[in-house]
Amino acid sequence: MNGWILLPVFLPAGAGAILLVSSFLEHLKGKEDRPGREELHRLHVFVGAILLISAALALIAAWTGDRSVTLFYLMKDIPVYFRIDEVGRLFVTFVSIVWVAVLFYSFVYMKHEGEEKRFFGFYLLVYGILVGLDFAGNLVTMYLFYELMTLASMPLVLHNGSREAIMAALKYLFYSMCGAYMGLFGIFFLYRYCDTLAFTAGGTLNLAAAQENSTILLIAVFVMLVGFGAKAGMFPLHAWLPAAHPVAPSPASAVLSGVIVKSGVLAAIRVVYYLVGTEFLRGTWVQTAWLTLTLLTVFMGSMLAYREPVFKKRLAYSTVSQVSYILFGLAAMSETSVTGALLQTVFHAFTKCALFLTAGIFIFQCGKTRVDELSGIGKKMPVTLWCYTFASLALIGIPPASGFISKWYLAEGALEADMGVFGWLGPVVLLVSALLTAGYLLPITMRGFFPGKEDGTGEASLEPSKGMLIPLMVLAALAILPGIFPNPLIRYIQQFVSALL
Amino acid sequence: MNASIMVIVILLPILAGAPIPLIPFKNRTQMMVYIEGIVLLNSILVIAMLFHRPEEALVLFKFTGNLSISFRLDGLGTVFAGIVSALWPLATLYSFEYMKHEGHEKYFFMFYVITYGVTLGIALAEDILTMYFFYEMLTLVTLPLILHTLSREAVLASRTYLYYSLGGAAFAFIGMVFVLTYGTTSVFTPGGVIDLAKLGDRKNLLLIIYVICFCGFSVKSAMWPFSSWLPKAGVAPTPVTALLHAVAVVKAGAFTTIRVTYYSFGTELLRGTWAQYLLMTLVIFTIVYGCSRALKETHLKRRLAWSTVSNLSYILFGVVLMTPAGLVGALSHMVFHAVMKICSFFCAGAVIYKSGKNYIHELEGMGRKMPKVFVIFTISGLALMGVPGLCGFISKWNLAKAAVESQNPLAYVGVAALLVSALLTAIYMMTISVRAFFPGKNFDYNSLKGVEDPNWMMLLPLVLFVIAMFVFGLHSEPVISGLETIASAMQ
Repeated sequence: MNGWILLPVFLPAGAGAILLVSSFLEHLKGKEDRPGREELHRLHVFVGAILLISAALALIAAWTGDRSVTLFYLMKDIPVYFRIDEVGRLFVTFVSIVWVAVLFYSFVYMKHEGEEKRFFGFYLLVYGILVGLDFAGNLVTMYLFYELMTLASMPLVLHNGSREAIMAALKYLFYSMCGAYMGLFGIFFLYRYCDTLAFTAGGTLNLAAAQENSTILLIAVFVMLVGFGAKAGMFPLHAWLPAAHPVAPSPASAVLSGVIVKSGVLAAIRVVYYLVGTEFLRGTWVQTAWLTLTLLTVFMGSMLAYREPVFKKRLAYSTVSQVSYILFGLAAMSETSVTGALLQTVFHAFTKCALFLTAGIFIFQCGKTRVDELSGIGKKMPVTLWCYTFASLALIGIPPASGFISKWYLAEGALEADMGVFGWLGPVVLLVSALLTAGYLLPITMRGFFPGKEDGTGEASLEPSKGMLIPLMVLAALAILPGIFPNPLIRYIQQFVSALL
Repeated sequence: MNASIMVIVILLPILAGAPIPLIPFKNRTQMMVYIEGIVLLNSILVIAMLFHRPEEALVLFKFTGNLSISFRLDGLGTVFAGIVSALWPLATLYSFEYMKHEGHEKYFFMFYVITYGVTLGIALAEDILTMYFFYEMLTLVTLPLILHTLSREAVLASRTYLYYSLGGAAFAFIGMVFVLTYGTTSVFTPGGVIDLAKLGDRKNLLLIIYVICFCGFSVKSAMWPFSSWLPKAGVAPTPVTALLHAVAVVKAGAFTTIRVTYYSFGTELLRGTWAQYLLMTLVIFTIVYGCSRALKETHLKRRLAWSTVSNLSYILFGVVLMTPAGLVGALSHMVFHAVMKICSFFCAGAVIYKSGKNYIHELEGMGRKMPKVFVIFTISGLALMGVPGLCGFISKWNLAKAAVESQNPLAYVGVAALLVSALLTAIYMMTISVRAFFPGKNFDYNSLKGVEDPNWMMLLPLVLFVIAMFVFGLHSEPVISGLETIASAMQ
């Protein structure tokens, strides 16, 4: 019996649902005042315990062998089916680490946002759904969790209930739905032309039938990639990211940017490498168009980030750009580039999370949201700014920080893949974007530590409490360390990546 | 079971419903018991009949030659009769509460109950003449329901309804005559009844007549360009808009198009012709058009009505695919849409009844005042969007599957239209829910004083519909395989 591997899906989802119902009922009773200290403490213990248990279960389930379980049949030939495989294992691991770290951070942070019960309810719910998404063993199951994730994470964005937040949340919802429906369009065709919708390394496309109808099938796959790209912030469906991030509470932006956008990446991996197969796609116009879109997004995201004065928006544009690095690696379809893409997925999760946590600290401690307000901040919160700097170095890709490794693999993979002009154009764009990344991240460090003469305010320490600082330090360390000791991770990825192509 | 049961279930509501205004009820409760008793009894009879299907046909009377009024229960009729008989008692229960604020109850319930019998007549009709007869009847008995409030708006709406429906029936009449002339029989037969020898080289005539006939019947299911009567008819009391304009009447339109396409003209003659392409184009356009109009509409009930226009064309899209799989898709959406849309209309009705608010921008903050209704409304919205786990996904899946299998390029466009429409559905349904639950930071809840969830008579149907949406969404296998059996008779 492998049914227990679904515990990390249902336990947090169930606990989250209980919190949500109870918070909703409180509202109905008209209880508007803030919960007392005691009550808040109990809530934290409950949420913390549930998440730790679930994360432990998820990791145990993931790392102790290949398991699969069929829950029930949604339709005659379509089971809700879970299977833990190499990619799912990788995803669930970084999702769990980030989720736990950000939870501890938000215990402190959410005090100033309020409505903790609702927030943590959705927070747990989304974790359960993400684990389900990572464990999903066929396309329909994945789609099911993909939609649920959109619906459950939307309330995280509109948390503060202001007009802007609601508009941003609706924008997020509609972009994601648009993407999901584009994905569904492709699913209908894959259902017809694949032998099975169960994920199989290398693909399950019935090539004989597919060649006959290749035009429509290629269109379908392309529509799917653009659609799932919406979640990953790929042009042309990227606009929700910069709208959603500034209004969401910082822990929510952190997991949104670090983790939830990666489900778009996961969906693309599943479609291209586990269903359609690279044999059918390589050298077609779909690959060319996909590469073009990703490179365009990489460049555009960096440019927009560079000229953006609002800190969280800048980070959001940075996500747009950095996640398309991953998609570029996937689109290049060579062993090295896919390795680079998976490395970048993991590294970017830790790095971007750390950056958003710093943004949150700036807001929480001194209410500063714009980049130009941050000069001199390093004197008041040196530890925070150092963590920020480490994470920035990782994101830019300066050795020995982690981003360097992934970008190295991406560039090398692009060069070795046989894809004409993109072979050199790709690395060039990546390099230009890295320069821009340095341009939009490092000035904050520099002006933070060396504000120049004009800063005459006091030197009183504004360093946040340990509850916020420790998760930040952990994530900042995770942004650096895998760059120094990358071999276990690389070896793990390389052992399965050749089967995908 | 004896075949005469078919006449009983049709006549019982008609005969018992007609004298309602004359019966001197002592009080309202007595009237409620009487009406609910008839409707429930009839539903029980229908359901018993569906499980013990009478095999033989029943000829009520013969005019001349092969013209007769006759009934027979086949697979397709089972589906429609099943939907109708499951929903009518629930809708009646809901109307008792709702109609308190509309007045003229006795006349309302008279026509409401009669319509039940007439709708079953369409479901059980064995030949095209009988179906046509009840189709015309349906127009006439539902007209007073739209007229109910007697306001100027209602009069105009009912006039539009009358013109559209009678016009449509006239077109349909041409088709009927054609089938009677060129068919081997007028009895519905899977695969069609057209006599190829008689037809000779007049195939183009057949196609023209088919298109005319299809358009005629699809007036009731509000295909563009015949769709504008439906949103106008939204002035009727909500139980009418919910049951008749989202289920019974409009689905009678879809049902009759299935009859003429699959059982009279025959898909083999039609598949791949210009007629199919023309109709499919109209249907695909309607799918997107209905949603776009819904998006623009600020009146709650009219928005839902436009959404119905679009969803009915999902069903018609399945019909014009002209494959057995397409029929499965069409029928599954017929069943599931009935549940979803009646549910969302009843929620809208509850809002109107409790707060008197008709426009979407007035609904801010209502989620906290009417939590049960708005949670259910949100679920029905998610179902209409096609979120997996709810029934809307299953029918969308079946429709799209059939479209992809048909390998018809235009059908691929149809799949895209289904998804565009799903996105627009997400927009026009979710904005309402978000507005209701998240009115903004400084919303003053005192302005909604006195608004609360309705009583059990309104809530019970809603809860049952939600359960049905989940059950069909998670365990659709029995329904779908039943529909596949029906469709497998077609080749």
